[in-house]
Amino acid sequence: MAFSSVVFKGKSNLIIGAVLTILVIGMAVFAPLLAPYHPVNDADLMVSEEAPSSDYLCGTDTQGRDVLSRVIYGSRISLSVGLVSQLINTLIGVFLGVTAGYLGGAWDDFIMGLTNIMLSIPSMIFALAIMALLGPGLINIYLALGLTNWSFTCRITRSQVLSAKRIEYIRAAEALGYGQWRIMFGQILPNVVGPILVISTLGIAYAILTEASLSFLGLGTQPPTPSWGGMLSNAREEFFTAPWISIFPGLAIFATVLGFNLLGDGLRDLLDPHKE
Amino acid sequence: MKKIGMLLLAAVTAFLVTTGGALASSGGTFIFCAPYGGDLFSLDMHKTSRTQDYIVGLNINRSLYRWDADQSKPVLDLATGVTISADGKTYTFTLRKGVKFHNGRTLTADDVIWSYNRIAQPKTASSAASYIANIKGADKVMEGTAKTIVGLHKMDDLTFTMELKHPVDIGYALCKVETAIVPREALEAGEAKFATNPVGCGPFKFVKWVRGSEVILEKFDNYYEEGKPYIDKLIYKIMPEGAARDIAFRAGELDANIVGASQYPVYQRDPQIKDHMIEVAEMYTRIIGFNSEFKPFADKRVRQAINHAINAELIIKKLLKNKAVPATGFLPTSSPAYDTAMKGYEYNLTKAKALMKEAGYEKGFTFECIATANKSWGVGIVESLIPFMKRINITIKPQQLEGAALGERARTGKFDAFIWSIESGPDPLETLNRFRSTTPVSAGNYTAYANSDYDHALDMAAATGSADEKLSWLKKANRILFDDAPFWFFNYNKAIIAYQPWVNGIKPVAIEMMLQDFTNLKLDESSPRK
Amino acid sequence: MRAYAFRRILQFIPTILIISIIMFVLLNLLPGNAALMAGDQRKAPDPRVVEQLKKEWGIDKPIHTRYFIYLKGLARGDLGTSFLRREPVNKLVGNRIWPTLRLSFAALLISLVIGIPLGFISALKRGTLIDTTAMIGAVSGVSIPQFWLGLMLMYLFSVILGWLPSSGYGHGKISHLIMPAITLGIGYTALLARATRAAVLEVMHKDYIRTARAKGLSEFLINWRHIMRNTMVLVLTTAGLQFGALIGQTVIVEKLFAWPGLGSLLVDSIFQRDIPVTQGCILVMILVFLIVNLVVDLLYSVVDPRIEY
Repeated sequence: MAFSSVVFKGKSNLIIGAVLTILVIGMAVFAPLLAPYHPVNDADLMVSEEAPSSDYLCGTDTQGRDVLSRVIYGSRISLSVGLVSQLINTLIGVFLGVTAGYLGGAWDDFIMGLTNIMLSIPSMIFALAIMALLGPGLINIYLALGLTNWSFTCRITRSQVLSAKRIEYIRAAEALGYGQWRIMFGQILPNVVGPILVISTLGIAYAILTEASLSFLGLGTQPPTPSWGGMLSNAREEFFTAPWISIFPGLAIFATVLGFNLLGDGLRDLLDPHKE
Repeated sequence: MKKIGMLLLAAVTAFLVTTGGALASSGGTFIFCAPYGGDLFSLDMHKTSRTQDYIVGLNINRSLYRWDADQSKPVLDLATGVTISADGKTYTFTLRKGVKFHNGRTLTADDVIWSYNRIAQPKTASSAASYIANIKGADKVMEGTAKTIVGLHKMDDLTFTMELKHPVDIGYALCKVETAIVPREALEAGEAKFATNPVGCGPFKFVKWVRGSEVILEKFDNYYEEGKPYIDKLIYKIMPEGAARDIAFRAGELDANIVGASQYPVYQRDPQIKDHMIEVAEMYTRIIGFNSEFKPFADKRVRQAINHAINAELIIKKLLKNKAVPATGFLPTSSPAYDTAMKGYEYNLTKAKALMKEAGYEKGFTFECIATANKSWGVGIVESLIPFMKRINITIKPQQLEGAALGERARTGKFDAFIWSIESGPDPLETLNRFRSTTPVSAGNYTAYANSDYDHALDMAAATGSADEKLSWLKKANRILFDDAPFWFFNYNKAIIAYQPWVNGIKPVAIEMMLQDFTNLKLDESSPRK
Repeated sequence: MRAYAFRRILQFIPTILIISIIMFVLLNLLPGNAALMAGDQRKAPDPRVVEQLKKEWGIDKPIHTRYFIYLKGLARGDLGTSFLRREPVNKLVGNRIWPTLRLSFAALLISLVIGIPLGFISALKRGTLIDTTAMIGAVSGVSIPQFWLGLMLMYLFSVILGWLPSSGYGHGKISHLIMPAITLGIGYTALLARATRAAVLEVMHKDYIRTARAKGLSEFLINWRHIMRNTMVLVLTTAGLQFGALIGQTVIVEKLFAWPGLGSLLVDSIFQRDIPVTQGCILVMILVFLIVNLVVDLLYSVVDPRIEY
């Protein structure tokens, strides 16, 4: 009791978040071992829309595929959407933020101008336009979500870099004649990892949700890819007749996004300089 | 809501008192939906080409003919009589007396002639132009080399003649709401205004269009049919989302709703709804088109093999919940040239495999099928074909696209295969003409189908004067098309409207279920909106 | 302050200009065109009509020519003419602004009324069960796919309980507004609750609060006078920045609830390739976002008189 209250105090976010995230990652990694059926090839119209039973723990979808297996394999798709698109965002945001903050001058003005413009375009709408241009598909989702949500990362990185620039040893590195790139990415970057990690974790959650929204508009991944957003959106008209087809992917999205959000919050609290 | 209800009740009571209760079943408000896509584009029937707009426009406007849902054929509407010359090329129409436009003016032959001329003008860019293209001289106007259609002559205010290039039943074309007769002065006062504030001579006059939300019409008191329409007010709710429409219908907010495949079995089981559904085999044929430029599809045997390899009935049962009729060829069961002797491709794997072997594709191949997100003729259907195709060693890859992107690729021939719903009525000759070898890909012959026997059969059907002979030529053409299998023949849509128990007079409209003419619609006293 | 506001409004111009170029290029590259969407695609297209329409709309001209024509109009505040609706975009968009604003501000109101108090309570009771429950509840709010939440609300309140109309605008009746506003606002509520909590915690640790405590001001006064003022600045920032996300989400919520606003018009027009309308919707949404953020900035000095412009 005493132990748990010390360890867990104020960290329940982090712990619940981490547990949920690890579960989802585990599901993705071990999908072939966990899934009782193949998510695409084991389609049999004869067993279409079967309610949950011992054969199909979460029932089957309209195409006669096992919902559980699709949800399990779907974790790979959804996680990849979250991770890849957020990786692109982070790379763009960090690169622009670090260079803008460190180099300053006209480049800084340009990047800040660009970031402000990006901030004023709702990223959902930008992503929608890019998806309309590229058409539905997994790679296109990575791009649409990866190119439209880097402005926060860029801003925060820049402000962190501005304060890190004043730190003694970085000045020392400059005095030693280290190259600009080495200082920016070797010395300064490690100082700003914390906040970026928090933003990225929340960004992953946002990307998974946005994929579902784009699927609702018919601009998600390509069938028969088992993406949670696509499964949820396709089954919306079977909501009354076969609720299991939408409930399980819906819950999977909810749990995963909740996990990443809590993890992000928990990390923020952990890294919070004002912590008591 | 309650207040409006009370007011309506008061109004109805007052009306009943004054008329002595003679029209007990008239009055009330009917709330319908406009389900196809988002907001309407325009209520100028000559300029729009969207079903969503026609659904509403149909009740504001009248044309020379109208589609009779019960007989499933066009009948005279604004005309009371027509005499056709012996060669079938000159029609003389007598117009109905005393037809009023909503602006109070009486309709004359000039209005008909002016309306058709407007459709033909290139700057109108009307999709209805093809409907009047058969009138002599219309093509010259469309090309811009003549100002007026020479084939239309006014005799007197209520009589005019129409000369045709080919002797066809012009009723099929002129029953369309796109060929509505409109008052010239309303359009000359401003076309943009007319598009949002239309004037017609139909049973309902326009009241208000709340953008993106609803269109409100009310009874036109001077409508030419005495005592009609029965209802006082007609509201169309713009509701593109099927799940939301279903909820609104169940909650009693809609008086009628077009039924989707997912809802069909639920409604059939629902004791409140099951007896209040009306069905029709719509004149739309769902197909997968095979591009003849794609090498394996150049071989007729491959296309036939695919037709044999798919259990279409099972897909219809499971995915469409039986809300479709298996296709036995291109022309649908409701078509006048439907051939009852025809049976669809039998589901026969052995035959399919044998045909693939004969064609030299025993080892199969891979093709991509482009599709939209549509539930009944979109990517979901293509997904369900994966296991069927696997059995004849074909890998089919669904490729989901938006409507606009698919349309572009279809009309430029950039695809291996596409799935679509294609208009297959009401005039069988016109719909089969789409696949003539002379029809370019961009004009709808997407698979670049070409067969001289097929062309010949259609030529004969067009040339003959005898109705029976015409039908037999059309059936022949349909059979050739079936045998050549440029398509996988999937199904004919079974369109269904579900309505509340107090609604009387929804019709089975085979040309498009949603084109409901509400002139004869009546509401029982049990309606909450009466 | 007036000079500041004026300067900020002037800054809108380059922003809008650059966005207009990005969007113009992006949207004009979309596959397919409006002429194909003009009609019922189940019918055979009439190539003559397609060509006629392309000419009428000028989409046969090269893209830079089109952009300059568009820009000339934009300078006069003219967003062009809709391809398919054949009406001025200004009028079409004008009809849709009010429903979107109503929906967005209703969502904003819901989230302010629920989110801020929730954040306060959470912060003051930091580390307790109340805090944990409130925060996990708030995070759950941002973790549900919106259309799914909307559908479940519809099912519950319209079909099962029969309390609220399921969708539509209903001539502006409040009953029609409730469900879409909740669906749209729930994520925002969660964000505000979290932002409030974080802000309160941050200011609570600042020196002046400690000083105030030392001076023996009652807990009540500490909570209100000091924390409130400082927190509001941080919350306003979040509210302003996240308002863009809220506007973006109207696309989904309006489509689901058949709400006649900019979001549903945007989705329809982008699928129909009615490019002038799509551009108009996007620019107006961005303008709304910029104005809201300007108002937020101006509010800073109202909330905290120490801030001056």
